[in-house]
Amino acid sequence: MSAWIAGPKCRRNRSVRPSLVRQILLLLGLAFLPAIGQTIYYRNDTSWHQRPVDAAQVSVAQAKGWGNAVLWVDARPEEEFARGHVPGAMLLNEDEWNALLPALLTAWSPERKLVVYCSRQTCNASHAVAERLRNEAELKNVFVLEGGWEEWQNRNR
Amino acid sequence: MKINQRNIGADSSGENLDFGFSFHTHSMKTPVSFALFALVFAIVVPAGAALKWETTEVDLHPSLSDKTAVAHFKYKNTGDKPVKITSVHPSCGCTTAALAKDVVGPNESGEITATFNIGDRSGVQTKNITVRTDDETTEATILKLKATIPQLLQVAPTFIFWSANDVLKPKTITVNVGGDFPVTKLNVTSTDKSIATEVEPEPDAKAFRITVTPQEAGRPINAALKIEPDFPKDAPKIFYANVRVDSRAKMPQK
Repeated sequence: MSAWIAGPKCRRNRSVRPSLVRQILLLLGLAFLPAIGQTIYYRNDTSWHQRPVDAAQVSVAQAKGWGNAVLWVDARPEEEFARGHVPGAMLLNEDEWNALLPALLTAWSPERKLVVYCSRQTCNASHAVAERLRNEAELKNVFVLEGGWEEWQNRNR
Repeated sequence: MKINQRNIGADSSGENLDFGFSFHTHSMKTPVSFALFALVFAIVVPAGAALKWETTEVDLHPSLSDKTAVAHFKYKNTGDKPVKITSVHPSCGCTTAALAKDVVGPNESGEITATFNIGDRSGVQTKNITVRTDDETTEATILKLKATIPQLLQVAPTFIFWSANDVLKPKTITVNVGGDFPVTKLNVTSTDKSIATEVEPEPDAKAFRITVTPQEAGRPINAALKIEPDFPKDAPKIFYANVRVDSRAKMPQK
């Protein structure tokens, strides 16, 4: 090993290193360029602009496991609710919040878990309704259904 | 210029050792030209989109009496072939988006009109509209409608409940007046006569305190409290709080 270090190849290897480092740094720098460009160009699509994931999300299987303790809350518009909904679900959306909330509160009891859903994973209505139930009505045990109505249908075919 | 393709580290001489590709000019042996190529590529690729939007974000400030907030997103086809708008998808059922025409010729302009139904919402509301075209070189465009809906009153909590084990002692609802709205008085009425209410202005604050007291036990009560501020007089606003009393709750001992 020491012979190799002391030999003529060693001098050639040492002369290579600055060039290698330069190329590595250059390639790293180049990798940043499209990344920065994409970040600026698609700034509205980046995850930090999306609503943060609700901490109290439940899967369809988990919610169904709660049985009769669940009070299903449908946060979609009335027309979509009329086309189909989880059996026993109550309609509560922000279009008609004041008119719809009293019926839900009459059906509610402290031991029940509210599971709110909207049409799909990307819709925000269920998160908004869940947030208002927690913050304004000060209800506990309010959850958002992962995947929404679409996921419910997929799991119940 | 010549382009060499080699295996990684294959140059045993040590000179021009690289990661498989190396671009050389006659005058320099560092891959500067490669850097320029990558830079141009990074800039040119996103610019290939033919449909250019005047703005993709609209900030609206509806008034207290507005029922809807409407945003116009204008676009122009700056490419040399027609672009077909294949889908316009709002993120929520509360927003509708109308498209003037779905095929946009070169140099043609148009707009998407997004109407947000305010309903019983308040505060800052952000709704996205996803627009897709048949231009395969571009991703979907996300149009953002942001509406700041004035909040005249903030009622907290909007639900008070006396459970089976509770004694029917008074509970309080706080009503804060938003912004600079000149609300000086609240009128509160209950849909159930056995729910008594008393309104007091909070000292040194733009707020009111509503004291709610059930005056009857032994039956379930579900009541709505109608809260009416004295502003705006031309378009009165009504706010609600809900009251529920379990039939097993007890009256306080005298």
